[in-house]
Amino acid sequence: MNELWKSAKAQGRLATIAATALLGLAAVSPAAAQDYPSESLDMTVAFAPGGGNDVMSRGIAEILQKYDLYPENIEINNRVGGSGAVGWGYLYTQTGSAYDISTTSGSLFTTPLQADTPWTVDDFTPIALLAADDLALTVLGSSRWNTVEEFIAEAKEKPPVIAGTGTVNVDFIVIALFAEKAGFEFEYVPFNSYPDSQTALLSGAVDALLGNPGEIIGMVDSKDMRALAYSGPVVPPEMEGVPTMADLGFDPGISMPRGLIMAPDAPQEAVDWWIKTMQFIVTTPEWKEYISTNLLTEYTLFGDDFATFLEKKNVSFAETLRSRGFVK
Amino acid sequence: MEIFSDLMMGMSVALHPANLLYLLVGAFVGMTIGVIPGFGPAAGIALLLPVTFGMDPVGAVMMLSAIYYGAMYGGSITAILINTPGDAGSVASTLDGFPLAQQGRAGPALVMQAVASFTGGTVGVILITLLAPLFSQVARNFGPPEYFLLAIMGMLTLIVMIGGNWRLGVISALIGFALGTVGVDLESGRSRYTFGSAELIGGINFIPVAIGLFGLGELFFAFYSGSHKKRDGEMLTYDGKSNFWPNARDFIETRFTLVRGSIIGFVVGVIPGAGAAIAALIAYSVERSVSPRPENFGKGEMAGLVAPEAANNAASSGAMIPLLTLGIPGSASTAILLAAFLMWGLRPGPLLMEQNPEFAWGLIASMYLGNMALLLISIFAIPVFVLILKVPYRILAPLVVVVCTLGTFSVNSSYMEMYIMLGAGVIGFFMRLYGFSPAAVVLALVLGPLAEESLRQTLTISRGSFGIFITRPASLSIIVVTIALLVLLPLIQLYGQRVRKPKAS
Repeated sequence: MNELWKSAKAQGRLATIAATALLGLAAVSPAAAQDYPSESLDMTVAFAPGGGNDVMSRGIAEILQKYDLYPENIEINNRVGGSGAVGWGYLYTQTGSAYDISTTSGSLFTTPLQADTPWTVDDFTPIALLAADDLALTVLGSSRWNTVEEFIAEAKEKPPVIAGTGTVNVDFIVIALFAEKAGFEFEYVPFNSYPDSQTALLSGAVDALLGNPGEIIGMVDSKDMRALAYSGPVVPPEMEGVPTMADLGFDPGISMPRGLIMAPDAPQEAVDWWIKTMQFIVTTPEWKEYISTNLLTEYTLFGDDFATFLEKKNVSFAETLRSRGFVK
Repeated sequence: MEIFSDLMMGMSVALHPANLLYLLVGAFVGMTIGVIPGFGPAAGIALLLPVTFGMDPVGAVMMLSAIYYGAMYGGSITAILINTPGDAGSVASTLDGFPLAQQGRAGPALVMQAVASFTGGTVGVILITLLAPLFSQVARNFGPPEYFLLAIMGMLTLIVMIGGNWRLGVISALIGFALGTVGVDLESGRSRYTFGSAELIGGINFIPVAIGLFGLGELFFAFYSGSHKKRDGEMLTYDGKSNFWPNARDFIETRFTLVRGSIIGFVVGVIPGAGAAIAALIAYSVERSVSPRPENFGKGEMAGLVAPEAANNAASSGAMIPLLTLGIPGSASTAILLAAFLMWGLRPGPLLMEQNPEFAWGLIASMYLGNMALLLISIFAIPVFVLILKVPYRILAPLVVVVCTLGTFSVNSSYMEMYIMLGAGVIGFFMRLYGFSPAAVVLALVLGPLAEESLRQTLTISRGSFGIFITRPASLSIIVVTIALLVLLPLIQLYGQRVRKPKAS
């Protein structure tokens, strides 16, 4: 495995050389002939190291450094607490800064609904939506449901028990909208984290769970669990053969948005620089590798398009939760 | 025999010079962060995780795991010397560890602590090596109903924690349960008792509470009782070399304690979600129940230190089983390790060991080496740590306050947690003054939310029926074991007293 790792690294280096050469030809290193950036960058990660937001931030920072896109120092700060309230609260206090950025997740919408945060999604400056972390409805490998049709048919007779992470969260919203469209009722059991849901499923306590492809794939490969349906638009190659909820005609139309935001009222020059830079980053082989190892769905929107997207999502998150009485 | 060839292969990976270096770095860092109150293994792993981005995963996992179990060695040093648990797993070690130090036996207590940690850790790895597949099957059967019963079993240890005055003990436990209700209610998604504070959404972390109640509370009490004016201003008596090594009696009396503590710790550790803190508390309670001198517990009984120390280390080994075989983390620290697996591009799950044998067996082999290294580091470091006791109290006390504050703050950079710790310090002083039980508060704070969440999950699943606790075989077995312990332990104690009485007369 050592050897494998090294050769993977060597390939990465070759790719870098090739890509740098290409970049030289194009001669539009986004930073060329501009004043921005001239200070060190402060990347706020609102969650703990090792989580989805952290891995993405470090991935972006690595690409920025590899291609010399950002000439100054890049600092990554995990500002953890209160489901993102602490980190994004910090970003909010940096209003007007050109050097404070952060990443988004479902909590960006849900935390302000739960707590008295001074900010909401609309306050931040949107840069780009980069990927979506979608969810799979998953059952035990030994269960009697081989297809999602069988699952739905039985669910209409007897409501199944479905586990997910948290209540005011993407997991709940996805399954609630899916079930509504498919026409079945269910009991939702919230857990603190994905591993807790998985423990409950393995012990036979719940009928199904919701998990990201990256989380379930180990158990799916070993045939301990079976993915029945996927909430994203395109199924990752590792999960080929699993239908999407949209294929079935029950598209929940919601996913965990992984994107980039800046402090409120960031200067236009900085916003333009970041949009251009991110447009380049998503074309690099390193980025493609990040998407495929984490089994994410590539999904890009920039600037104003991303702003419209955030607005729409915010409304639908709030409406789904409000109509079920989970938030005021 | 396949196990041995796997283990040998793992050993050859672990003995690779670069990996060995990472292992030693991890062990050293782990022990150091364990010593700093508030700065537990989870925070330590999180701190070094970014460094491993792009590193060879085998070396990286050896380093991070060594931080994890290394912290269990360091965490008890401050528990013994200044009554401040360095991390969650060593809360139980303050109960008899600090009284031992007060009697001038800090040296033997620290050495026995290191020996117990080594035994627990090594027994744990041996059990992983031999029985990983079996225990992973056991862990598979645990769902919400079983967690609830486990929390109830843990609460039975409250009976031991409460001590002499049961009224004050019950009030202490209720304070802990009340604190446990703060934060977002998992089931309804609504905030409880957060008073609009975003920082309280996640609830009250029990580490700042434990540091405040035990460490600062003890400090304030020492001022109150004027001990800073006595004995040349030194905190505790300690007469250097003649009193460093434990005597033969310490070893002989605790030889079965070591085994019991290790096995209890390992089994509890395998169950995802229980963790080292609960393992240590259960081991302490069992030890007190089978001891011929239960009345000495809490007053400086060596077995009362050895049992939780062996247990918390064995538990940290045990937690590796669900992590490696099912991709399920058993504690906050292993949750970060799991995140690291994903970051390194590995796929946690039943196929992890099969698909990445060098990774899995390299890690297991490194745990043998890591525990040996930690025992050696401990033995060499103890004389240095014991010097703390020579520092005049007027200098040591402010330092302890500063270290506790910095340690708590540095974990999440949270002012709220710092205030919680300071507030808990004041409450801890009054609890000490009036005979309440800080240990009961901490235990209730840990178990309360676990019991509440798992009970509500269970009842959602069963649609309100309690029958689920009897129809699920795993639940039924836990009920049977709990009842057996409730009946057997007092009987053993009674028998022990009867056997001894004729000898005494």
